[in-house]
Amino acid sequence: MKRLLCAAAAALFLVTGFGCGPQKPKLYIYNWTYYIPDEVVKEFGKRYGVKVYYDMYSSNEEMYAKLKSGGAGYDLVFPSGDFVSIMIKEGMLEEIDKSRVPNYGNLDTTVLSKLLFDPGSRYSVPYAMGTAGISIDKRKIADTTRSWRILDNSDYKGRVTLLDDMREVLGAALKTLGYSVNSKDTAQLEKAKQVVMGWKKNIVKFDSEAFGKGFAAGEFWMVHGYAENVFLELDEKAQENVEFFIPDEGGPIYMDNMVILKNARNKDLAYQFINYIHEPEVYARIMDFFQLPSVNVPARKHMTVEPHYQIEDLATSEFKEDLGEHIELYNKIWQEIMVGK
Amino acid sequence: MKKNYGPFYVAPVTVWLACFFVIPISIIVYYSFLTKGINGGVIHKLSLDAFRALYNPTIFQITINTFQVAILATVIMVSFAIPASYFMARSRFKNFFLLLVIIPFWTNFLIRIYAWMAILGNNGIFNNILLSTGIINNHIQFLYNTNAVILVTIYTYLPFAILPLYSTIEKFDFSLLEAARDLGATKWKAMASILLPNIRGGITTAVLFTFIPAFGSYAIPQIIGGTNSYMLGNVIARELTVTRNWPLASSISMVLTVFTTLGVLLFMRFNRSATESARGQKQKTVAAGAKA
Repeated sequence: MKRLLCAAAAALFLVTGFGCGPQKPKLYIYNWTYYIPDEVVKEFGKRYGVKVYYDMYSSNEEMYAKLKSGGAGYDLVFPSGDFVSIMIKEGMLEEIDKSRVPNYGNLDTTVLSKLLFDPGSRYSVPYAMGTAGISIDKRKIADTTRSWRILDNSDYKGRVTLLDDMREVLGAALKTLGYSVNSKDTAQLEKAKQVVMGWKKNIVKFDSEAFGKGFAAGEFWMVHGYAENVFLELDEKAQENVEFFIPDEGGPIYMDNMVILKNARNKDLAYQFINYIHEPEVYARIMDFFQLPSVNVPARKHMTVEPHYQIEDLATSEFKEDLGEHIELYNKIWQEIMVGK
Repeated sequence: MKKNYGPFYVAPVTVWLACFFVIPISIIVYYSFLTKGINGGVIHKLSLDAFRALYNPTIFQITINTFQVAILATVIMVSFAIPASYFMARSRFKNFFLLLVIIPFWTNFLIRIYAWMAILGNNGIFNNILLSTGIINNHIQFLYNTNAVILVTIYTYLPFAILPLYSTIEKFDFSLLEAARDLGATKWKAMASILLPNIRGGITTAVLFTFIPAFGSYAIPQIIGGTNSYMLGNVIARELTVTRNWPLASSISMVLTVFTTLGVLLFMRFNRSATESARGQKQKTVAAGAKA
């Protein structure tokens, strides 16, 4: 038995000790599912001789829980704004040395000035921004209202979905009433609840996962959600029948950001990657793929595909901020919506 | 000399259950008594907040919904499964039928749920047939409501009711039914007073195997359910992720576990006493017969 163990140990040593040749530097990225086109990551690896390890998450909460529970040695992560401020408070982030990200200068300063989750971008570099809007099937929806109030129209009852996301849905309702998407006022939220309860009568369900597929299949005619979730399900011809709009009142905007973790082992590579992403040609390719508006000014000239909406269309919208303790208030209201008739 | 190998035999399962059952449950119980961390996680300070938060009309309402769905689904499943397993057990092709019951397990559970969407969706197969034959002129909304959740729950867990019932009924001595008929019982009377009491063990297992997963359901209401078919499983997931209240998620999980365990214990107790009293009755009759 002992001899067998020795043999196994020796074999293991051989494999690990001599198994690989000269070691490439490694970069560990933790990003949202399908959030950078594969070839962009591959090209980075080729250009700088780096082996990139790329893991994916489907929600900020999942990412945060994994990092908090001692996780996994990542260098570069892509949290949304509210989680950037949480991670700053928790001391998880490395301060960004802007001199090492020369392409930071390419970013739209108007957008940067609105980023209250990390004023002055001390710990984060914006990656991509967007907003949830409403996608409609033009063949089925005759209503020309381009406000959130289109959701009050009961003609399409049973063909409508809203995101299963309290910030997005309550944010839309707050905007409809002329309040801030980050409102912490009980009376305002109570009114927003009444608005959502009205919408709830017309929708089939709150859904954040399958609404794009359902819309593509003709199951739903009007869906609330991110444009890319809908359009990536449709071929070019089918896209012609779809209109995506951001309601006049505006809504919550998200910004996903690149941050370097404090305990990252490959900070140099992480800086290199952030700078690479904001090279105008590279960034334009990413935004072309997702048809999102570009926060990188020179990249806009390189884009070949018209995004679903422009930054100017977001004039009335607001960035989502971390609610801190007030998340309980939202949660209570949302729970009441869940069981309310 | 005979050695006692018992401890060795049960060691693997004991270790397994300790690691993957006792320890996680203990963590859940422990967390439910802690303070919530503002950004998720827990602060190691004792608190009953998570249990206080349970006194809440929302959670009460969702618990009621969950019970309704689980009980209704279980009753329907078992009442479908008894005749089905009886038929299978008496058939010449029992192995073939058994295979048919097992085949759905070859496909992933989630894919089978999505298949229901293709069948019952607004543009699904069923609606299209009804529309093209002119029976209806507007689609019927089959999905996204509590009935759809019950339907898919029944579909998903029905095999778990059939399999234990089949294995019990298969061992049943069918000549007892003939004897009952000979003694003048009607067909139904024979089934009710001879077959059913004898397969009680199978019925118990079937009820437990179907009620427990149905009660803890998460994916089915999430995918098939509508705006009013949330179940406790969905609330737990929300508290754990979106609202970052781990102690509350733990306390709801505890409620779920306690209800399930109590239900099971009560059910088994009720069952045992029923069996015992039936047995007692029989013994009395036999004794009386012997005396005469």
